[in-house]
Amino acid sequence: MKNKIHDFLESDLLERYLLGETDNLETAKTERYIALYPEVRKAYDELQDNLEAYVKLHAIKAPEGLKETILHKISKQKKNNSKFYRFAIAASIVALLFAGSAFFFYDQNQDLMEKNTIVNNKIKTLEMDMRLELEDIRNQYIVLNNPNTKKLNIRGNKKAQELKAVAYVNPVKKLSYINVSHLPQLPEEQCYQMWAEVNGEMVNLGVIKQFDDKEKLLALPYADQAVGYITIEPKGGNLAPSVENIVADIKY
Amino acid sequence: MSKLLENHIVELLEERNEKAMSLLYDNYADTLFGVAYKVVKDEELAQDVVQESFIKIWKKSDSYDASKAKLFTWLFRITRNTAIDKLRSVSTKTDKEIQIDVSDVYNVGEQSIRPEFLDVKEHLDKIEEKYRIVLEALFFEGMTQQEASEELDIPLGTIKSRLKIGLREMRKIYGAPALVLFIISML
Repeated sequence: MKNKIHDFLESDLLERYLLGETDNLETAKTERYIALYPEVRKAYDELQDNLEAYVKLHAIKAPEGLKETILHKISKQKKNNSKFYRFAIAASIVALLFAGSAFFFYDQNQDLMEKNTIVNNKIKTLEMDMRLELEDIRNQYIVLNNPNTKKLNIRGNKKAQELKAVAYVNPVKKLSYINVSHLPQLPEEQCYQMWAEVNGEMVNLGVIKQFDDKEKLLALPYADQAVGYITIEPKGGNLAPSVENIVADIKY
Repeated sequence: MSKLLENHIVELLEERNEKAMSLLYDNYADTLFGVAYKVVKDEELAQDVVQESFIKIWKKSDSYDASKAKLFTWLFRITRNTAIDKLRSVSTKTDKEIQIDVSDVYNVGEQSIRPEFLDVKEHLDKIEEKYRIVLEALFFEGMTQQEASEELDIPLGTIKSRLKIGLREMRKIYGAPALVLFIISML
């Protein structure tokens, strides 16, 4: 250890460190020695005192006015610095606002994109509906306008004598429609339901809405020797027709 | 420089108080101007060096670490390096060689020297010239020990020992009490 300290003091590291001429590694080593060994610390302090004394011997009166020039420059720099900070703060605020608005717009954009998807889907559904409706209307036109179409007048049986309906059947195009033009009033809890027996199977054609459906042609599933029925069912419709409640049958 | 005043200046520097610079100037400007002059050997350049150094000192004040160096050592390093850089940039411009001229110690700025430094020559004379040359080369010419060895044609080992002995002789000249008196007289 003694040797280590002796070798260190014999080297020129401390002198070079004093003048700020050591590299990073040498600086670290020197600072470690100064911190660890009081002898090195003492030698370093002495060196510093000697340097100060020696250098002070060379002091020359600084020129007049130099102090004012220096202090003026420093206070100007301080002002510039504070100007810079003010600018930096302003810039930070602008940046923050920008980031905030960017996030706001991003959020809004996401929202709009979602809405756009919903609207697009709605448009697609509407298109599909329209296409189906158009198809239906085209078929209705074909049926009504075709010379091969048979027109069948239907009247209700005893249970509904006032019932009037017209069926249009086109065996060539294999399309059939029915228009129920008049239905006797039913109590609140009952409704009319249409059925078709096609190839031995009973198909539910749905509940006839008394007023809305008067002007409408309802499509009937087409089959040779099919039979359509109108029955009175509990409100909301039934899963299977109540045979005892048949008010009309349509053979087409 | 009393320790108390030094601490006060360091505290003001830490607070970024401009008063620190005024105090630093009052207490160190002549010495630092002397350092700058010794290196660049031109009054105007030396003024520039002192100006630049003080601005560096102000800017770097938060990097000063009192546990690593005395305030004067730190100020000296900054001024010396600024002066050496200045001299190098001027030399590259004028392609002038840096030369060691021992006689400068006596010729330079003697007219503007403070009365209390009138015995400088006497003091310096007490340091043997062979040591003084080495101290000059290392402290003011910005030479490394290797460069001084080549420039002065003295073996590296001799440079090292002369630096040590030269600094030791300083103590012999002033002695501890004399040094204290000397420093007090400068405040």
